Amino acid sequence: MKKTILSTIAATSILATSALAHFQMVYTPNTALEKGKTIEFKHVFTHPFADEHTMDMGKQHDTKKLSNVEEFYVINKKKKTDLKSTLKSISFKGHHNSGKAFTSKYKARKMGDHVFVMKPAPYYEANEDAYIQQITKTIVNVAGAPTNWDAELGLKAEIVPLTKPYAIWEHGSFTGIVKSNGKVVPYAEIEVEYINRDVDMKNNKMGKSRVEAPQDSFITMGIKANKDGEFTFAIPKAGFWGFCALGAGSDKEYKGKELSQDAVIWVEAKSMK
Amino acid sequence: MIKKIILNLLMITSSVFAHSAIMSCFDNGDGTITCEGGFSDGSSASGVKFRIEENGKVTFNAKMSEDSEVTFNKPVNDYNAVFDAGEGHQVYIKGSDITE
Repeated sequence: MKKTILSTIAATSILATSALAHFQMVYTPNTALEKGKTIEFKHVFTHPFADEHTMDMGKQHDTKKLSNVEEFYVINKKKKTDLKSTLKSISFKGHHNSGKAFTSKYKARKMGDHVFVMKPAPYYEANEDAYIQQITKTIVNVAGAPTNWDAELGLKAEIVPLTKPYAIWEHGSFTGIVKSNGKVVPYAEIEVEYINRDVDMKNNKMGKSRVEAPQDSFITMGIKANKDGEFTFAIPKAGFWGFCALGAGSDKEYKGKELSQDAVIWVEAKSMK
Repeated sequence: MIKKIILNLLMITSSVFAHSAIMSCFDNGDGTITCEGGFSDGSSASGVKFRIEENGKVTFNAKMSEDSEVTFNKPVNDYNAVFDAGEGHQVYIKGSDITE
């Protein structure tokens, strides 16, 4: 009987995993800048490999009004700057539909690491009758001097990088630790996806796809952290790769419904041309 | 003991040569330029020598601040900003490449 309950729990969690393969993008085309410049971001909640459905960020179950982004800020060295006011609402066109998203600009002038953190409002996923909130980190470096890329921010859900997320060659690897409020999350479930389309920054839409997956398990790749919350992933292709630690966060409920508070980090691998 | 000293020397040597000097400058838009210095291993450039050269002549000398920065008035002539952390650790940036 105990065995049956365990298998049911396992089956449920596998189903949930497969259904929650969403990724909050905090995307800018180049995360390793030669020198300081103004950069542009697209903040899109989507499925970056298959591009099946683009979600309306901030969708709620009890109102048609979309909820605002909770936090968006950057940390350079030890200075934190609130960037919420830089977010402009856009409609972003995916391959199948358009969704409510945001664009923003930032003057990445100071040398070193600029750690961007976005905490969107929880998104209501009707298929699951549950909410998803992905606390997302994207790290941009100016001029190659490392400063605070590896800083642990003590977020409710966070992937702390052990590899510089902007300095990875194609066929290199990325290592991170899944944490929640500074504590490791042992055996965290992590989903990995490749941004399989060119992002058209000018027209707010996805371009054509690059590679085809031989089977569904290659679209969203499921891996697990070890007992210390640590994981390593070998990166097969240049471009952007997202890592999402499912339900790693401490908040488990929102508006009386189940909440999956996830930690997302984006890394960029460069090709050796 | 000798082994230990050799090992330490090797470690010091590798640490000196393993990193490279880095500088990034921007125009503040108010007639001044700020240059920031650093090293690829993340160490501070505080106290590192900095100079401006115009037509091969040094027209400004300074040391990087506690924040590894230096701010100076934008020269009228063509110039180079030079971050000088010693032999093999110098970075030159042309004034014409420094933008807002």
